[in-house]
Amino acid sequence: MLSLLEVAERTQKGPKMLEKDWDMKFYRTITRLVKEYEIKYPGDEYWFNMDDDLVERAFEAALTFLEEMGIYCISTNRVVELTRKEILECINDAPTEIIMGEGRDARVFKQRKIEGKELLNFCPGHHTPFTEDLANLVVKNFAQIQRTDFIEGFNFPVVDGREIIGSPMEAYAARRQLAWMREGIRKAGRPGLAIVYYPINTRVASLLAGMDPDYGLRRTDGILLSLLPDLKMEHDMLAAAITYEDYGCFKLSGSFALSGGFCGGVEGAIIEGIAKPIACTIAYHDYIHYTGVEHVAALSAQKILLQPYNWGRSVVNQVLNTKTHVICMAWVIPTSGCGTETHLFESAIRCIEAPINGANLYAPRHSRSRVNGGQTPLEAEWMLEVSDAVIEQGLDRIKAGEILKKIAAKIGDRKPETGYLINECYDLVHHRPSPEYQKIYESVKEELTKFGLNLK
Amino acid sequence: MSDQNEKLLNELKEAIINCDEAEATELAHKVLDSGIDPVYSLQKVIGESAVIIGQKFDDGEYFLPHLVMAGDAMMAASKVLESALDTDSSIKSTVVLATVEADMHSVGKNIVGMMLKASGFVVHDLGVDVKSSEIIDKAIALNADFIALSSLLTTTMPYQREVIDELKARGIRDKFKVVIGGGPVRQEWADKIGADGYGKDAIEAVKVFKKLSSK
Repeated sequence: MLSLLEVAERTQKGPKMLEKDWDMKFYRTITRLVKEYEIKYPGDEYWFNMDDDLVERAFEAALTFLEEMGIYCISTNRVVELTRKEILECINDAPTEIIMGEGRDARVFKQRKIEGKELLNFCPGHHTPFTEDLANLVVKNFAQIQRTDFIEGFNFPVVDGREIIGSPMEAYAARRQLAWMREGIRKAGRPGLAIVYYPINTRVASLLAGMDPDYGLRRTDGILLSLLPDLKMEHDMLAAAITYEDYGCFKLSGSFALSGGFCGGVEGAIIEGIAKPIACTIAYHDYIHYTGVEHVAALSAQKILLQPYNWGRSVVNQVLNTKTHVICMAWVIPTSGCGTETHLFESAIRCIEAPINGANLYAPRHSRSRVNGGQTPLEAEWMLEVSDAVIEQGLDRIKAGEILKKIAAKIGDRKPETGYLINECYDLVHHRPSPEYQKIYESVKEELTKFGLNLK
Repeated sequence: MSDQNEKLLNELKEAIINCDEAEATELAHKVLDSGIDPVYSLQKVIGESAVIIGQKFDDGEYFLPHLVMAGDAMMAASKVLESALDTDSSIKSTVVLATVEADMHSVGKNIVGMMLKASGFVVHDLGVDVKSSEIIDKAIALNADFIALSSLLTTTMPYQREVIDELKARGIRDKFKVVIGGGPVRQEWADKIGADGYGKDAIEAVKVFKKLSSK
């Protein structure tokens, strides 16, 4: 695999290009490849891809795309050029499983198979702001879910009563985030559970400040280092990738494509959705990726959870699971807030889809989350319940598609609901939902059972 | 206005909607040659095409590159039409747009910038991770009407306030209208820091800019 130092050198020596020229070349190239490789949405009845030849074509299209485009460095306005041989080497050299955490809490996080029978790996909660008074109690609650393999951190606006602004406060906030997480997992009786640093922001001071085996990131923990949309990288993230590789942390990335952006529609997003995790693997040596296809204006379930994006995610994950070593995670971001019926149905869509597509569960938050309003442990446990039922029942693409159709008919036209703050609908002291939310959960479960999912 | 002139303005509008910069430039020259009032032309063409382009983006028919190309076509036609105006002053508002310091997220900012361009605003996009003082200096240099600030992180939202505070400290708060947006940003935050406007998405943001422009 290309070394990170080689990547760094190419960001200094590659050809110069204006960002606008890169964006438009991105669109023109992807549009041409969509036609050339005949990538076409087959229609709303296909909730999952059934065409094996499309998997071959989409993979070839993504390889050609990466070879023609490379990766754009916004710090130097230069292109990191890649040969096909280097791209293929990177695909083959990446691991298919990552060992994370330590002692009795160590876990193996794996690439899955399409319609696989193994239970999913799981990361609940966070990627969302919490206030410091709730911080370690919230972490404790998510760590209490025994199936949790790692927990990602969270943002917050204030630390020790002071607003976080400027790199000194950002570095301090990074250290506090990780200290709270370490305390939270200890409180849950799982001191070795892996934690993942969610960057306070992308400045190098805050990216590196948490490296601390005693109170912050251990060598068995991880960090989120994502490429920007449209295959763009930048220097502070690369500096962090180099440093953490030396230190030993694993790295993960948000590697989904944004339909409606410079990739064009869902067909172009498929090419970007395959190329991006490969590019992340090259640029930062990320090995776990939340993958798939979202929409650039992700404001409603219709725009990100339903057709044609469901089909698009299916193609992307089928390619990544059969042609590469990318470890896929489904990015579960309901558009309605927690504590609502719609949130639970929206989560269920992704959790039915994930095991079929060969994706693990990354269950961060409401798409427009507020401080303390991202996710409760109930939704996290619900996601496992749904995905486990899909596996146990042995649902295939056709049967799962039938259930998704019924959910879509129920919630497709709904406007997103704001939902509730975590302490309005969940009791963090006793690890249980409020009685009102419990009732909503039970009624959604009953309805989903009627739709054909055998929930216990 | 004669039917022929009306037809010409409709063709110009179509050229912009179809993202055809060369055609839009040529038709703008024809509009001037036909003696149609350039101010009326600008207002009609910009206003009507922007609505259609925005709708097409919202419906999923147009993507970001279409907004870029339509914006370029709009700017090219405007340049021709404005050359016939009596004064140097443009009838369009100028926006200085940036993602605030320490924040690398550009997608939301880009959508707003392109939609504003397609709506006839002159947009100077300073990019991502831009220092407050740099944003203000640029707004002063360009004699801008608006400062537009995007933030996708809770921890970078305070930089939106920093811009407003620095404008106040320099005694020039009233010179610019400040509009803010971004994933974690809400109306309450806009009210708290004294922003003039807030848009929860690009479509709404453009409406806010238009409303503030007319004040």
